[in-house]
Amino acid sequence: MSTDPIWERSRNDEPDVPLAENIAPGTANDPDAGATESATVTVDGQRVETETGATLLDACQAVETRGDVLALCSYDDSQKIGPRSECRTCVVETERHGVVPSCSFPPRDGMTVYTDTERASEARDVNLDLLLSNHNLLCTTCGKNGRCELQDVSIENDVIEPRYGVMHDRSELEPLDDSSPFIQIDRNKCILCNRCVEACNDVQVEGVLRMEGSAEDTRIGFQNGAETMMESTCVSCGHCATVCPTGALLEQGLVDATTLPVPGFTHKNSAEGIVDGEYDHQPTQRTPMKSELETQNEPRVNERFTTTGDDRS
Amino acid sequence: MVDERIIGETPAVRVATGSENHHDGRELLHEANESETSVTTAEVGSVGHIDLEPLVVATVEGKTAFFSRPSTERMETITRTLGEGTVPTDGAVAVVEHDPETARLPTPETGPLGTGVRRVLGGCGWLAPTSIEEYTDVRGERFTDRAEDDPESVRTHVMTSDLRGRGRGDASGDASVAAEWTTVYETADDPVVVVNGNEPDEHADSDRLLLESAPLLVVDVALASAVALGATDVVIYTNETEQIARERTRKAAAALDDVTDTEIPIRIITGPDEYKAGEPTMALEAIEGNHRIEARRRPPGPNEHGVDGRPTLVHTPRTFAQLGQILNGTGPVGASADPGTRLVTVVNDDTTAATVELSTDATLEAALSAVEPDSGWSGACVGGVFGGLTRSLDVPASASGLRSARLGTNGVVELLDKSTCMVALAGERATFAKEMNCGRCVPCREGSKQLVDLLHRVYDGEYKDGRLRELVRIMRTTSLCGFGRDAARPVTTAIEEFETEFTAHAKGHCPTGICNRS
Ligand code: SF4
Ligand code: SF4
Ligand code: SF4
Ligand code: FES
Repeated sequence: MSTDPIWERSRNDEPDVPLAENIAPGTANDPDAGATESATVTVDGQRVETETGATLLDACQAVETRGDVLALCSYDDSQKIGPRSECRTCVVETERHGVVPSCSFPPRDGMTVYTDTERASEARDVNLDLLLSNHNLLCTTCGKNGRCELQDVSIENDVIEPRYGVMHDRSELEPLDDSSPFIQIDRNKCILCNRCVEACNDVQVEGVLRMEGSAEDTRIGFQNGAETMMESTCVSCGHCATVCPTGALLEQGLVDATTLPVPGFTHKNSAEGIVDGEYDHQPTQRTPMKSELETQNEPRVNERFTTTGDDRS
Repeated sequence: MVDERIIGETPAVRVATGSENHHDGRELLHEANESETSVTTAEVGSVGHIDLEPLVVATVEGKTAFFSRPSTERMETITRTLGEGTVPTDGAVAVVEHDPETARLPTPETGPLGTGVRRVLGGCGWLAPTSIEEYTDVRGERFTDRAEDDPESVRTHVMTSDLRGRGRGDASGDASVAAEWTTVYETADDPVVVVNGNEPDEHADSDRLLLESAPLLVVDVALASAVALGATDVVIYTNETEQIARERTRKAAAALDDVTDTEIPIRIITGPDEYKAGEPTMALEAIEGNHRIEARRRPPGPNEHGVDGRPTLVHTPRTFAQLGQILNGTGPVGASADPGTRLVTVVNDDTTAATVELSTDATLEAALSAVEPDSGWSGACVGGVFGGLTRSLDVPASASGLRSARLGTNGVVELLDKSTCMVALAGERATFAKEMNCGRCVPCREGSKQLVDLLHRVYDGEYKDGRLRELVRIMRTTSLCGFGRDAARPVTTAIEEFETEFTAHAKGHCPTGICNRS
């Protein structure tokens, strides 16, 4: 009987991206989504041919669907990002499998899909409202106002009054991280779509951002354990802010680009506390941490389970 | 003479304990060894009735007496009497006559020990858990050897069977094991076999029982499965606290490795002691060593993209034990659409618990004599922490039977008496879901929060049953993994079966009185 760790015998011969072995994004080792072969499916009565790698969402987007398949967390500008398939606002109904998230479900030959059944629309409505229930919905002081994907789908879905309300108790709000001169983080606007984490780790291979915590405490954090953006190993490439669908990650220059021109009415005072930054001591685009320290990634090793992990509680 | 072959020895005394009573069992065994040297003694695993344990099993020539939790003085008397060649019967909970060479725990017709059948549990509490000699003798042929001789026959046996998975930790869920095997086998690329023994549900004891009392059976079938599927790794995954299960499984694996020559390494990997970590894809994450455990998106499932992206067969110890029955070809039992047996832990009032085996065509009622409840129970939660609430146990123990009664299949029957408030119980389970989920998907992470909130509002006089039903429906149908889908069940069934309690609470009245806020 052997006691070597299993990964030493892993036969996965694909070379890793440089640095990738140190990257610990805290997210699951998902399989590739999408079909392994081309298929012909029927969406709301219309025939659609799909290619290898396509998802049901691709099929739905190829035709005029009867229901609005919102698909908030999906991102199709980069192969390396998503589908995270967490928001479940892209649900459609299939004859064989019941309701499924279209953004990650593979089309199979002969599949029949409906976008406007009661079960599918109800699921999209409820899941969107669930997202809003945990959202600090103050568009007028938000830097994403007018170019926000959450706002867009809410309008598209005719949300008037979300059934579970919105996050309104100011004491529940997380302080705004304004410590970096380049990127501001407002976790009260975050929908945990993971795009920023993938942009940072899989596209830029910087290994700065990660998903951390669980249940209600799930949040975007830093792989070096830092509490603020300024203490992280961020190189200010801005990719995370580019992919973020909401006002959770904003380039500093755009923070108040869209707020109402009323004195004292800013993105900053939409949250309860602010982690401020002194920008003078940052000589380059790299945060001080990036220059001074090696990345202190948490290793993907099993010994973690013989000791107590930090963020498994 | 601990841990050696015991079967057929006479006179013999076995001390059966699970991890719960292990220390007391050791003391009794010590006492037996001290007081009489002519009696063979052995530490065996639990028989499933932890409340009767340590259970002393005293045998002479095909006659066995059972003693529940004897004092050390009584233990001395028992051993002395055995030394004289007689079975002591004074104070025994049962006395049974049997074939002296039987490989199954001889049990009485009635009473707790006589509850259910003992097919996969046969050796539990009777065979020395880690004695490979005894195991081999009893079987005649090990499953692994058979798979090495003829892997195809093993595959055919499994792939033509109607067996369904057992337990929430099984990647096939309640569905076809044959389909799972076929996908793993047909996906080229170095398969892995995982024994998912991480079941931290506080009442679901079946996997622990098998790993503590019959680890050789589980490991042998898992290794045979690996051989049959051409797998190159076997991983046994348990939670941190299951030390005895892990130690015995380790010994069993080492012993099997010594006598077979599969060259398939068997590794024991521990994961966190958290309910979610037993979910099959979170098990994969823990096995790969991820520091944060969340569910994986599927399809494709573990059978195509498992450990390190390799096709992986994930079964629970319960499923492997059933596979052993299929391979034995001992004849079909149970319901035809879900053949075999189901292990069920019956919990009465949080004070007594016993794990018994029911044929899938028996009803859950048949398990009740294991804990001898008085007539006071008025409902039950079936299926573990995310089980379904019901008033009746006249429900078949098969997957389809449990499903159509909207109950859970994870092998737990918690009896609830008149003092249990179903609204409070549903709230407790919703809170568990809210606090223990992995955080990945919206219907579970945000849904469980709103669920707790909607239940709180019942106490404020607002019972929005439409909203509640809508929410649990969405959690059940759109959550990413089994955690969120199952988490909806306690509330769904509570509303269906006990709705008057909800309306009463909304009027400020708790029928049991326990929610009345002062
Ligand atoms: S992120 Fe900003 S703009 Fe978008 S919905 Fe939220 S508050 Fe409105
Ligand atoms: S910060 Fe933006 S990109 Fe990152 S998870 Fe949150 S919403 Fe998604
Ligand atoms: S259902 Fe719950 S436990 Fe499963 S992925 Fe979603 S949040 Fe995580
Ligand atoms: S877009 Fe499919 S789950 Fe979010």
